[in-house]
Amino acid sequence: MALMESLVGVLASEAPRHNIAKIKKVKLTVGALTHALPDALQFAFSVLREQPLFAPGAELEIEERETRGRCRDCGVEFAVEGNFGFLCSGCGGFAVEIIQGRELQIDYFEGD
Amino acid sequence: MQIKLGQNLLGANAAIAGEIRRLMEEKGILLLNLMSSPGAGKTTLLEKTLAALKDRLRLAVIEGDVATTKDAERIARLGIPVVQINTHGACHLDAAMVRDVLPAFDLDGLDLLIVENVGNLVCPAEFDLGEAMKVVVLSTTEGNDKVPKYPLMFREAGALLLNKIDLLPFTDFHLDELADDLGRIHPGLPRFDLSARTGEGMDRWSEWLLAQVEERRRR
Ligand SMILES: [Zn+2]
Repeated sequence: MALMESLVGVLASEAPRHNIAKIKKVKLTVGALTHALPDALQFAFSVLREQPLFAPGAELEIEERETRGRCRDCGVEFAVEGNFGFLCSGCGGFAVEIIQGRELQIDYFEGD
Repeated sequence: MQIKLGQNLLGANAAIAGEIRRLMEEKGILLLNLMSSPGAGKTTLLEKTLAALKDRLRLAVIEGDVATTKDAERIARLGIPVVQINTHGACHLDAAMVRDVLPAFDLDGLDLLIVENVGNLVCPAEFDLGEAMKVVVLSTTEGNDKVPKYPLMFREAGALLLNKIDLLPFTDFHLDELADDLGRIHPGLPRFDLSARTGEGMDRWSEWLLAQVEERRRR
């Protein structure tokens, strides 16, 4: 819910700057490591879209991204399975940098 | 019309956390963000830690709580400045909440400021409070699955406190499984097995924390 409230906060300040009175669609990218569950986000959105900022039936599209790591030792990039294996699949090293999976980003919004 | 944003939802929080981090560095204060699931015994652990350090460090506490002031009262009884942030039901603290209560403290007269976050391992991990270190409390009664379920929390932690070690024989918690999991997620993470209730292992943790504060002050 807190995340959706920050979403509404961002949109409430951005929409007027682009002369948009009613938002019809919002696109979010959500990384697996954030533990933000798409169903929960959709539910929170269904409550918050009753606000005048949104057109009736406004839509939230969520793109989910898997967690990916890059090994600092050998440079291999790999999917971190089950959000858990922070161990390089190339050399077995531990120095793994998270390169994807922490996103919580508003990509765009649409409206009139 | 479509408006491209590409804005991180937590961007505003990150900016405020950055301000807090700079302020703490300037004042030489170590800011700890203490996190756990509900029922891990975090408040008792905090109380015992404060009692062990209060004659050696200038301490203060920010107490995050969903609704009650009970925990803050326990800290205040030790004679330590404490401010409570009531999140009104929110599952985590954010940087703005912390920034807003900082004026309540004499920052020039502090060495260590501990934020007791709301009991929950999911959302608090996502909100940077400007802390120098996240400390995660796990208890033996919670089972081994917390670590694989919330890897980000354990990956980002600066220390792990395994509480209720006295209850280990009565649980199905396995220390070797914990070591294994941590080895995959955060090798080298300082870990303290202790019991806030019996006091076992508390000295080692308090001394380590004291050393962290001293290192901070020397910088
Ligand atoms: Zn590697």
